[in-house]
Amino acid sequence: MADIVSIQDVYKDYPLDKVVVPALRGVSLSVKQGDFLSIVGPSGSGKTTLLNLIGCVDVATKGTVLIDGHDTKSLNDHQLTDLRLNTLGFIFQSFNLVPVLSVFQNVEFPLLLQRRLTPAERAKRVDELLVKVGLDKHSLHRPSELSGGQRQRVAIARALVTRPKIVLADEPTANLDSVTGENIIDLMKEMNREEKTTFIFSTHDAKVMSHANSVIKLADGKIADGKPVRDKAAGKKVKAGKH
Amino acid sequence: MSSFLLLLQISFRNIFSSFLNVVIGLIILVGTLFFVVGGSLLASIDKGMSRSIIGSIGGDAQVYQASSKDSPAIFEGWQIPDLDPIPDFSKIKGPLLSNPNVKSVVPEGINTAIVVYGNTIDQILEKLRKAVSPGSKQPREKVESLKAHVRQMVSVIQTDMAKLDKVASKGSFDPDAAKDLTKASSSEFWKGFDRDPFNHLEFLENKIAYLIPDSDQIFLSYVGTDLDVFAKAFDRMQIVDGTAVPPGHRGMLLSKYVYEEMFKLKSAHRLDKIHEALTEKGKKIAQDPDLQDLVKQNKLQTREIVLQLDPLSSQKAVSLLQNNLGLKETDLPKLLSAFFDTDDANFEGRYKVFYDQLAPLVELYRLKPGETLTIKAYTKSGVVSAVNIKIYGTFQFKGLEKSDVAGGMSLMDIMSFRDLYGYVTPEKMAETKSLEKEAGVKFVARDNAEADLFGGSSSVVQETTQKKINDKAELGGAKVKRVNLTEQVYSTEEMEKGVAMGAAILLKDSSKLKLTMKELQEISDRQGLGLKVIDWQTAAGYLGKFILVSKIILYLATAIIFVVALVIINNAMVMATLQRVREIGTMRAIGARKGFVLGMVLTETVVLGLAFGTVGAALGSAFVLWLSRHGIGAFNDAFYFFFSGPRLYPDLSIGSLVMAFIVVVMVTCISALYPALMATRVSPIQAMASDD
Repeated sequence: MADIVSIQDVYKDYPLDKVVVPALRGVSLSVKQGDFLSIVGPSGSGKTTLLNLIGCVDVATKGTVLIDGHDTKSLNDHQLTDLRLNTLGFIFQSFNLVPVLSVFQNVEFPLLLQRRLTPAERAKRVDELLVKVGLDKHSLHRPSELSGGQRQRVAIARALVTRPKIVLADEPTANLDSVTGENIIDLMKEMNREEKTTFIFSTHDAKVMSHANSVIKLADGKIADGKPVRDKAAGKKVKAGKH
Repeated sequence: MSSFLLLLQISFRNIFSSFLNVVIGLIILVGTLFFVVGGSLLASIDKGMSRSIIGSIGGDAQVYQASSKDSPAIFEGWQIPDLDPIPDFSKIKGPLLSNPNVKSVVPEGINTAIVVYGNTIDQILEKLRKAVSPGSKQPREKVESLKAHVRQMVSVIQTDMAKLDKVASKGSFDPDAAKDLTKASSSEFWKGFDRDPFNHLEFLENKIAYLIPDSDQIFLSYVGTDLDVFAKAFDRMQIVDGTAVPPGHRGMLLSKYVYEEMFKLKSAHRLDKIHEALTEKGKKIAQDPDLQDLVKQNKLQTREIVLQLDPLSSQKAVSLLQNNLGLKETDLPKLLSAFFDTDDANFEGRYKVFYDQLAPLVELYRLKPGETLTIKAYTKSGVVSAVNIKIYGTFQFKGLEKSDVAGGMSLMDIMSFRDLYGYVTPEKMAETKSLEKEAGVKFVARDNAEADLFGGSSSVVQETTQKKINDKAELGGAKVKRVNLTEQVYSTEEMEKGVAMGAAILLKDSSKLKLTMKELQEISDRQGLGLKVIDWQTAAGYLGKFILVSKIILYLATAIIFVVALVIINNAMVMATLQRVREIGTMRAIGARKGFVLGMVLTETVVLGLAFGTVGAALGSAFVLWLSRHGIGAFNDAFYFFFSGPRLYPDLSIGSLVMAFIVVVMVTCISALYPALMATRVSPIQAMASDD
C-alpha cells in the first residue's frame, strides 16, 4: 500500500526574537493508508509541529512533506487550502466548533466549502454521520448546549464529513475526562475501521496511546530512539528515521 | 448559494454574539434614525417653504430683465436688488402665457417706502386745525374737547420735562423750551386761541409738538402689482380688514402682520402677544423672560395712552381703572402702570377689561381702512417721490398669518408703484425733450457753467416787478385740470402697458417647473424678450438658500456621525476579529479560503449595519409618521413661513430612507475593510494553538 504521508528529513525552526528555536530536527516518517497512528512525547517535543506540517497548516524549513503525493512546499495557499479541505480532516484539542452554528451546520460546513453536493446529499451525509457519532438527536443544538465529549464527537463528524484520507487529531482527549476520552478514541478507532481513514493523533496520555496501531515517540524534535516502533496491536511497523 | 445562506446565517447569529456588535449596531441605529428624521424634516420644510414662497408673492418662477445687475430677492426686505425694468409688461405677458403649463403671469415690483407719521400731539393739533378751519361743522364742544386734550398734553410734557430736569445733567433741557411750555400751558395763551387759532396752532406745532419724541417713521416694503390679477393668482391671499382694492383703482392693502406690528397701539399689541403666548403656546409669564419683558414695557410705557386721552376720557379711564383695580389712586399713569402689572393669574381678566372698557376710549390703530397715506420712496435715480394712496384694508396669506417674512410685504397697485419708482418711459422722455426745446432750455457744460450763467457784458439779465402770477397767461390759456388719482380707474391694457420689475409665474403643474422654466427661457430667447427665468428658490434670496444650508448642515452632521461611527466600528471590528482568531483559524484549517473569510467578515458587517440600520430607519420612520399626525408647532413667528402654517406635518422622505441605507452600507463596508483583510491574514495554525 502506498504511503499516504511521507516525511523526509524535515526540519522546522521558529524564529524567536533574534534566536532560532528548532522544533523539529530531521524527522523522517511514512504513514500508510488506514493507519491509526499516535505521536507521543512530552510537551515541547514537536508533536503539534509535526501535525501542523502533516495538516498543511505550516511548511517545513527544510526537508520534504508529501501528503497524498503532494509536496506541500510546492503548493500555494489556495492549493494548500484545497488539500486541507479535500484530503484532510481535523480534530482539535479544544473542539473548535463555530459557536453560532448548530451541530448539523458545524458538520455540514466543510461540505459547503467543497460545493460538490446538493443540499439533499449534504443533509443525508451529515445525518448519517451524526447517527454514527450518536448525536442525531442533537443536530439542532448549539455547541454551548453540549458536553465536552459531545462536542468532540461533533468535531469528529465534521472531520469525517468530506471523507478525507487522513484525519489529524491534536490531543483529542486532553480536555476530556478519562472515560469520555476513552469513548472518543473508541469512536475514532471505529471510524478508522469502517471508513479506512488514516488517523494520526498526538497525545501524551499513555492510555490513549495504547489504542494506536503505531506509535511515534518524539523527544526534542526528533524521533525518540531512531528505531522503528512496533505496533503492539496490529503488529505493523512504522518506518521511522533519525538523520 | 448555500454557502452564502450560511454566511448570512452566521452573520445574523453573530449580531448579538458580542457586546461590541451591539455597540456598533447602536451607533448605526442612531445614525440612521438621525438621517431619516432629519432628512424627512428638511424635505418637509423644503416643501413647506416652497408652498410659502410660491403661494405668497414668489410664484413657481420669476422672470426679470436679463441685463439686470442683480437677480430678484423677494424676501430680503430693504436689500432691493438692482434690476433693470421690463419696459412694457404687456409685451412679455402673452408669450409667457403661451406655454401650456403657465397658469398666470403677475407683474411685480418690490420697493420700500417711508411713511412719516406726526407724533400724537401732531395728530390732535391736526384735528384741532380742521375743527377751527372756516367751514368746519364741528360743534363747539368738540373744539373745546380738543383744546383741553392739547392742554393736557402740554401738561404731560411739562411734567416729563420737570422730571428730566431733575435727573439729567445741566443744560440738557433747553430753557427756551421751558419758556414755550410755560406759555402754552398758560390761561392767557388759551384765552387768545379763539381769537387767532392759526397763529396759536403754528406756535404749538413748531414749538411744542417736537418735544414729544414719539413720531414714527414706518418702513414699508411693498409689492407693486396688478392687484386683481395678484388676488386671483395667489389664492391663499385673504382680506382681513376693509375691502379689496376695486379693479383698476389705485390703492393699497397693508399686510395684516405689518398693520398689527406698526400701526396698532403698542400697549395693545404687547397685550396681544402675551395673550397669544399664554393661550396658544401654553407659556407662563412667571417662567418666560420675554413675556416678563413685555409686561415691564407695558408698565413703563403708558404715555401713548395717556397722551391719546382728552380730559373727559382720562376721567373715565381713571374711574374704570380704580373700579377694576380697587385702588383710590387718581394719577392715570400710575393706574395704567398698576393695570398693566399683569401675572398669570390676573392677565386674562385684565386683557378682557382692556378691550371691553379701555380700548373704546383710545384709537387702537393710528390708520384705518379708507384713510389715505402719503408714501415716500426713493426713485431709481435717488430722488424722493411721494404719492397719496388710499388704504383699502389689510390682507394676509392663509396659514402664514404669523409669518413676519410672508407678512412683511404690503400690496400696492401697479400705477402708484410706477409713480413711486420714477421710471421715465420713452414717451415721457420725448415729452420732456419737447418741453425743454419749447422753453429754450440750454445745456450748460460744467467747465463753462460760470461764464454761461453769469458772464456777458450786462449784469442785468431781466428786469422784473412783483406781481401776481397769472396761471392762465403763463400756460397760454390752457385750463388747469386737477385729477383725483385715487378715484381714477385704469383699464387692464393701461395697467399692463408699462413698467414692471419682474413677473411671478404660476404653473398649473409645479412638478414640471424645471422643464417649463427651460421652455420659457427658450420663448424669451427666441422672441428677443431679454428675460431671465429663475425658480422660486433662487428668487427667494437668502431664504431660498436656507434649505440648502440646512441640508449641508444635516449632511455634515451626519457625515461627522458616520465618520466617528466608521472609526469606532473599525476599532470594534478589529477587536472582534482578534477575539475570533481561533474560529477563523479553524475555518481556514478545515478548508475555507481567504476569500471566504473576507466575504464572511464583510457580510457580517453589512448584515449588522442593515439590521440595525433597518431598526433605526423603522424607528425614524415611525417617529416621522407620528410627527405627521401630531405636527410640530412653529417655535416662533419665523417658523410659520418655513412650515407654511402654524404646524409642520412632515412626510416620510423616501429619498432620505434610501440614502440612509446607502450610507449605512457604505460606512459599514469601509469600516469593515481593514478588519476583514486582517481576518484573511489569520493563519490556520491559530486553530491548533492550545487554550493556554
